[in-house]
Amino acid sequence: MLTRKLFRTAWSYKAQFISMIIMITLGIGIFLGFNMEWYTIEYDTSRFFADTNYADYRLYSQDGFTDEELDKISGIDGVNAATRFLSVNLDLKGKTNKSLALDVSENYTVSTVVVTEGAKYDKNGDGFWLSDKFAAANNYKTGDELTLEYQGLDISGKIAGLIKSGEHMICVADKNQLMPDYNSFGYAYISPVKLRSVLREKMTETMTEELRKAGVPENMMQEKLDELLTDKAMTEAENKVYAQINLLSDLDKETLEEAVKNKLGRTIMVTSKTDHVVYKEAKGESDEGKTMGSVLPVLFLAIAILTMVTTMHRIATKEKIQIGTLKALGFKNRRILRHYTSYGLFIGLAGTALGMGLGYLVCKSVMSENGMMGTYFDMPDWTAATPFFCYPVMLGTIILLTLISFLSVHRQLRGTAAEALRPYTPKKMRKTLLEHTKLWDKMRFGTKWNLRDLSRHKSRSFMTLFGIVGCMVLMVGGLGMRDTMAGFLDLLDKDISNYAVKVNLVDNADSKKAKSLASELDGDWESLSGISLEGDTVSLDIVHNPKDMYNVIDEGNHRIALSDEGVYLCLRLKNKARIGENITFSPYGSKETYTAKVVGYNRSVMTESVTMTDTLADKLGIEYTPTAIYTDRKTGDIPSSDLIAGKQDKVQLMKTFNSFVSIMDGMVIILVIAAAVLGIVVLYNLGIMSYVERSRELATLKVLGFRNKQIGRLLISQNLWLTVIGVIIGLPAGVGVLEWLLLALAGEYELKLMLGPLTYCVSVLLTFGVSLLVGLMVAKKNRKIDMVEALKGTE
Amino acid sequence: MSIVKFDNVTRVYKTGEHELKALDNVSFTLDEGKFVVILGPSGAGKSTLLNMLGGLDSPTSGTITVNDKDISRLSDNELSDFRASTVGFVFQFYNLIPTLTVYENVELVSEISKNHLDAKQMIEEVGLSDHMHNFPSELSGGEQQRVSIARALCKNPRILLCDEPTGALDSETGVMVLKLLLKMAKSYGKTIVIVTHNQSIAKMADVIIRVKNGKIRSIEEQKAPMSADEVEW
Repeated sequence: MLTRKLFRTAWSYKAQFISMIIMITLGIGIFLGFNMEWYTIEYDTSRFFADTNYADYRLYSQDGFTDEELDKISGIDGVNAATRFLSVNLDLKGKTNKSLALDVSENYTVSTVVVTEGAKYDKNGDGFWLSDKFAAANNYKTGDELTLEYQGLDISGKIAGLIKSGEHMICVADKNQLMPDYNSFGYAYISPVKLRSVLREKMTETMTEELRKAGVPENMMQEKLDELLTDKAMTEAENKVYAQINLLSDLDKETLEEAVKNKLGRTIMVTSKTDHVVYKEAKGESDEGKTMGSVLPVLFLAIAILTMVTTMHRIATKEKIQIGTLKALGFKNRRILRHYTSYGLFIGLAGTALGMGLGYLVCKSVMSENGMMGTYFDMPDWTAATPFFCYPVMLGTIILLTLISFLSVHRQLRGTAAEALRPYTPKKMRKTLLEHTKLWDKMRFGTKWNLRDLSRHKSRSFMTLFGIVGCMVLMVGGLGMRDTMAGFLDLLDKDISNYAVKVNLVDNADSKKAKSLASELDGDWESLSGISLEGDTVSLDIVHNPKDMYNVIDEGNHRIALSDEGVYLCLRLKNKARIGENITFSPYGSKETYTAKVVGYNRSVMTESVTMTDTLADKLGIEYTPTAIYTDRKTGDIPSSDLIAGKQDKVQLMKTFNSFVSIMDGMVIILVIAAAVLGIVVLYNLGIMSYVERSRELATLKVLGFRNKQIGRLLISQNLWLTVIGVIIGLPAGVGVLEWLLLALAGEYELKLMLGPLTYCVSVLLTFGVSLLVGLMVAKKNRKIDMVEALKGTE
Repeated sequence: MSIVKFDNVTRVYKTGEHELKALDNVSFTLDEGKFVVILGPSGAGKSTLLNMLGGLDSPTSGTITVNDKDISRLSDNELSDFRASTVGFVFQFYNLIPTLTVYENVELVSEISKNHLDAKQMIEEVGLSDHMHNFPSELSGGEQQRVSIARALCKNPRILLCDEPTGALDSETGVMVLKLLLKMAKSYGKTIVIVTHNQSIAKMADVIIRVKNGKIRSIEEQKAPMSADEVEW
């Protein structure tokens, strides 16, 4: 019989019950969803990395590595596998704005691929194994012919298979590109045998030309070539192109660096996977998710549980007479407790079950092939993994909710049955400070009534306020994040990148030729290279920008006219040295160290970098070669040259950023909707509670002759006051949370908090809208109040 | 001069398939300035009658005229205005606003009544000047009922409607409150209608209406009503 009462009672409090279940669903759902998101990123990517033998370390040498050197490195204790590796960006022949990273993993033990279609990878094969995403975007099928341009030479072959590679899981052309664009950039693998034949062709061509210049007659040519193109010469050429060794190892970086130095007798630039764009970005995404997962969902869950405390307490006090009746009838305390406690358990179970479903959906909306990360990560398998700590949190929530209802009822059960039967008496009124002022006497009745009601029901008022602040924080946080990102991209488009095309130069481009090409193109140039700064691998950016095509900006987002007196540290390196102090660094592969004074800090787009002018670099005697030219010329107007490795249209580049922004938009929409639902549910639940508690007073007002509208206004104005206070608190709190988030993300981006007026307007208006909507919903109930019924019985 | 006229008033409450006739074809008139007691056992329909008269409820059929105005077919807002201007209520359980002080509870009616009286004066007249700034929860039951009388009169209504006004009080306090109620009604010239099952109160009335099973059993005019002191409580 009590079970029947359980459901009937639950039904009579349906507004409260449903809203509590919704709150718990939202709380658990958002908490689980956000945490599953980052954990799934970690889980899926690390599985994919393991499947494709993603390199732990990459060694770079401008002069390349020999076979013997590879053997020496393979022999280091703790190195599990190593291969010579080549990765070079090449243009597709006859296509504008399409290029591929061409990779060769010599012994195919590290940095391998998963074939999704076509032939298995063959070490002696002649064809291309092409990125399946690039193939899909450009309508390539297995068996199609593909031609790449390599320093004026064609590399042709059939597409043997379609692949995915951990090395290119986030397929971007360079560090400045945020989002993959498979239409314009992809990757392909060829076998070392094919590489050797390409090299042979290239050498034949160069030597023939040289022999001709030297006056060797055509009939002698083949003989001379055979003489020159020995195996030894071929091997030497090969050694030069394999500028990279990729290896699997559990050693730490210092140990490995030391071991490599000992074995090879020279300093080699060793970068760990944490410095590789793919690993770093994937890690950044999961860290970002961790950060997001730690603040906002906890806020949700906290609001849900706090709402539960107030609501359960109210229900228990309203049920006091019934509890007393059951007790008087002879039901044992334990039985009554069990009866009422099961409400909390029921809400906990239902909310958690629904929340798990919601969490799965939230996670999948981000982490799935068609989800937001679908364009970012190129992986074969997408799962949904739950971090272990989520289970105790869910269990804890259920236990906590059960405990809350247990304690609420326990309080009512104390004493004798007669005591329990006496109705709940609300707290006695006491005067507030404000009432002793003159101002109080001047207030209208409604104002006084509402103020006293707020102070009498402090926990309810506080919860309402908390709900509004939460709603506001989520909106400002979500929209502000978007503003900041959009503002940053605008800055990147207009202030930093003032060029039309970025021309990437080949490695080891001749410095003089590169500079003269830059002036021919009327452009600026930069030279990016790796340096070691106090043991950290960072970039050295040497800039020559008299044309303001490529700019450096300061913390306040203003362009810096670079000084020749010293270097600029990016904001992430701010703790390395103060302005006026000196830093010492050494380029990789060089024993030289240089010292320069820090003259300022700059906001760097992606890389952690030290920036200086070419004038200063020359003064210090640093050896460098330009790596990119920035020009206003159109792609077609740039003459072909041996120096050019590839061209990047800025419009194209910015487009890839836009898809990044659309990921942000998706997250922001989820947050804003969740915030609005949160606001509505919390406010409606508390609004109904306040309405029920005051129904006697409202009925009295109605009997006295107050019109429905006047009473409605009373109810809404209380809501609106709380909203005003909530907005006043929530706005700076939202900005604070956002700043905290940006700080937490600072390892990845150097973002400056930017909030557009629209964000303020939308957040404030939406919050007020929610509050007003709920106020109207509650006020509408007032029309149906039964004066006769409400006035029966004692206070 | 008649101030209230019930003409064939019937009130039927429907609960599911059940029909309950709380008032069955009731007709009577009341003269202004009289002290009327509606007497009957519980469930007789007394309170329904009072609620109809006060505009808290509308009849299923028949007409109710108060102060020459037909109130049986008014809209919600018109009924609110009617209650604000014409009737004052005193309930068994006082129904004061717990979050307002004594003064504020009485002063409250100035927001809706155009020709209201001075709140302070009303409180003085019910003898609660010392408790002007106390909250209802700080007062005894008798004191609370006095506040509710002050509030009802402050609106300056034509009729005072009281539903078991002494029902929640001990007899001594009840008599005191009743005396006050009658004294105030007389000095302000109000018609007063009291619903009760207390026979003793009826002895003081000008008119006694006896109700049973939703019908009027009798209407009795007392030529010489007793004073409160003469009545045996």
